[in-house]
Amino acid sequence: MTTPPATAAQPGRTVSLREIGPARRGTREDEVVVALSPAFAGHFSKTIVDVPHAEVLRQLMAGIEEQGVTARLIRVRDTADLAAISHIGAKLSGSGISVGILSRGTTMIHQKDLARLSNLELFPQSPLLDAAVFRMIGSNAAQYAKGESPQPVPTRNDQMARPRWQAKAALLHLKEFECIEGDRGPVEVEAVFGPGTAG
Amino acid sequence: MGTSPTTAPTTAPTTELTSADYPLSINRPELLRTPTGKSITALTMDAVVSGELSAEDLRITPETLQLQAQLADASGRPQLAGNFRRAAEMTAIPDAEVLAMYNALRPRASTGAGLAELADRLESAYSAPVCAALVREAAEVYQRRDLLARPAADSDH
Amino acid sequence: MTSTAPRQSTGHRQSLRTEILEARPVNLDGFVEEWPEKGLVAMESAFDPAPSVRVAGGQIVELDGKLRDDFDFMDTFIANHAIDVASAEESNAIPSAEIARMLINPSVSRNAVLAVTRGLTPAKVLDVVKLMNVVEIMQGMQKMRARRTPANQGHSTSARDNPIQVAADAAEGALRGFAELETTLGVLRYAPLVAIALQVGGQVGRGGVLTQCALEEATELELGMRGITAYAETISIYGTESVFIDGDDTPWSKAFLAAAYASRGIKMRFTSGTGSEVQMGNAEGKSMLYLEIRCVLMAKGAGVQGLQNGSISCIGVPGAVPGGLRAVAAENLVASMVDLECASGNDQSFSHSAMRRTARAMPQLLPGTDFVCSGYSSVPNADNMFAGSNFDTEDFDDWNTIQRDFQVDGGLRHVREDEILQAREKAARALQAVFAHLDLPPITDDEVVAATYANSSNDYPFRDVLSDLKGAQSVMDRGITGLDLVKGLESSGFHDVAENLLTVLRQRVSGDLLQTSAVLTADFVPLSAINDPNDYAGPGTGYRLEGERWEQLKKLRHVTSSTNPETEVG
Repeated sequence: MTTPPATAAQPGRTVSLREIGPARRGTREDEVVVALSPAFAGHFSKTIVDVPHAEVLRQLMAGIEEQGVTARLIRVRDTADLAAISHIGAKLSGSGISVGILSRGTTMIHQKDLARLSNLELFPQSPLLDAAVFRMIGSNAAQYAKGESPQPVPTRNDQMARPRWQAKAALLHLKEFECIEGDRGPVEVEAVFGPGTAG
Repeated sequence: MGTSPTTAPTTAPTTELTSADYPLSINRPELLRTPTGKSITALTMDAVVSGELSAEDLRITPETLQLQAQLADASGRPQLAGNFRRAAEMTAIPDAEVLAMYNALRPRASTGAGLAELADRLESAYSAPVCAALVREAAEVYQRRDLLARPAADSDH
Repeated sequence: MTSTAPRQSTGHRQSLRTEILEARPVNLDGFVEEWPEKGLVAMESAFDPAPSVRVAGGQIVELDGKLRDDFDFMDTFIANHAIDVASAEESNAIPSAEIARMLINPSVSRNAVLAVTRGLTPAKVLDVVKLMNVVEIMQGMQKMRARRTPANQGHSTSARDNPIQVAADAAEGALRGFAELETTLGVLRYAPLVAIALQVGGQVGRGGVLTQCALEEATELELGMRGITAYAETISIYGTESVFIDGDDTPWSKAFLAAAYASRGIKMRFTSGTGSEVQMGNAEGKSMLYLEIRCVLMAKGAGVQGLQNGSISCIGVPGAVPGGLRAVAAENLVASMVDLECASGNDQSFSHSAMRRTARAMPQLLPGTDFVCSGYSSVPNADNMFAGSNFDTEDFDDWNTIQRDFQVDGGLRHVREDEILQAREKAARALQAVFAHLDLPPITDDEVVAATYANSSNDYPFRDVLSDLKGAQSVMDRGITGLDLVKGLESSGFHDVAENLLTVLRQRVSGDLLQTSAVLTADFVPLSAINDPNDYAGPGTGYRLEGERWEQLKKLRHVTSSTNPETEVG
């Protein structure tokens, strides 16, 4: 299947992240923190399979908000490890629930009381994550935040993902590492969606 | 078979083996015994059916591992022989404790004192000096490479 | 969206030829530029260390440009355990070109090469193999492979973890020639039933096949201790200290584990491969092959008899960079040239291109390795729970034809349909009997019929998964062992299968399968690097595909009779 699902945004839609200030621990129990990796919507603008970061954020936030839960964005700057990013997000989340995401698209739902290397749901195969999946991930995270036990988002598998994407994933991972700012803590960010730039 | 079920000797075997003795199961079956003292040739279907054999009969003995270590040495494989000598010592250690010892050797799983105790236990409880030496060497390297557990109760990090 | 979607068109007009080329499967594969500073480079990097070694006071005090105080734990382990201190300075002083020539010169014996390689440092080994092109690497492999007779290993798994499928496919795989069969699970709790199925089915197809079940260490070791599996290989090691630690192990913990397996009489090999460190983002700026050579020497130092390498699950990484498959062939050679058994990869989905898939295997298939594939999928790839192999059941006839074309032994053979059906049915019946004997959830006659004629897991009736999982748990709780399987087979009339399994179990008492590169022949003769040493010494020597075995491999599904060209032979 090559046609993007019906929920896809208009092509070329962009997003930039405006830093608001140091990320604080949330007080609202009805929030999910979306924790973004160092290069997300910054050095990089799309996932490994060219889903625009704008679209990823739009779908995650829509999935959260359709459950009546608030999405709050932070950027983690001192690590590119998905478990660490997600766990930092969870500890700052008023509900204790976070969605962590790497620039290439790999995503995790985490909870603050779990061990760092554990998680609620992990989506390791970034080439298989499209807009519809990101929306379901947002929705599930919000349901966890409300204390519910949603059905896990169905995971997909494709044995031919390795020959096509394994090396590019490694390359993107290395680049993300380069964007780490070791001495800077997480910041609160606001997503500023813009019109598509040509090309 | 009904041959003498003597307990296996505890001293290292005196037989001098060469590569020509391999495979022992075919060329030197008379050297091979089970931990319960049966000859390997006693491991027959009749014995299985009559219930004479237990799972314990299908384990390797330290003596047999020493014989295989001789063969490894004779064929120019000193590291493999060393592995068989550690294995010979480990036959005496219960399954669960073997796994616990392995876990204790994982990075930052044990303090220096913990590894020292493990090495002592290998020597005193199981007469396992070769294994103990491996653990002591690990402790020294872990110390240098910051891979020991902190003695204080560990916090979340 | 699937990962195999075609690439987006660029918008401007393309030639018709370009359109055809764009649509070729090879263009669905991923390729990347090198980045040596980060270790995204196969084997030619300016950032790899230069070889050096210095011995003082009976120990190695300098290794590849580092002094002992600066050694990381890989350096330390390799210096303490892998390198022969007595010959290190002398061996490393030999020019690399001379050692490379020794590797391919038929008049230099394998043992004469080993006398040199036992003292080499990782950077020196790299310096040697960097001089070799892929044909020379194959020449080296032909001589340095530990066991004279090559073999192959199969994956026997089920997308539904269906034990009947695993038993029937194990029987067919064994009949076709796999010397080892490996399984793993979708639902881990199914492991005891699937491991039993593999053990029973394997012994139906051909007595003496060795089986294993890839799981986390504790369960894998426990199934082995109970005699439900015969060997283990998913014991992973890595080439940098940081990635090794990420895997929650050290060379010492893995060396301890190696001895633990041997202490229970269980054959074991480690697993490593190029690309794993850079994939995990911690290659420390070293080439993939340099790091893999450190793994090979670490395995050697641990005293483990062998290694599964050839990039394995990271094959997409070396496969995407220039010279990547040369490096993969070289890593197999390095394992063999330090006298380890080498199970040489070709075991993971590698390319969309049939041509590339075939080419990838040539450096192992043509010279022969201890196990050409460390997992040829003997089930359809959709059922392969190792995420797909480079070859699967659909490739059986191609593989057999290539063996016949080049007169090389890749471990498999063509088997007539009637023999296959008979073995599949017998395996399913034998498992049915064992399950009944052990009071496990019944296997119906319909399932036996399905197993006889099936291709994939889709062709079987659904099992009651919850009952199966309860049964699997009871296997563990009741302490069922390999001996119980023997009893069940014997008491239900499968005397020959029972005898086969008992003979395999008896092997662990002898320890013969612990020696380097050991397998069991169909006559239950342990065949290892001791009694079947590779004696290649040039044309006309070493393993030759001839005699009865060659007659077997001449057979294919369709060969026109020369006596009566209106008929086929077979």
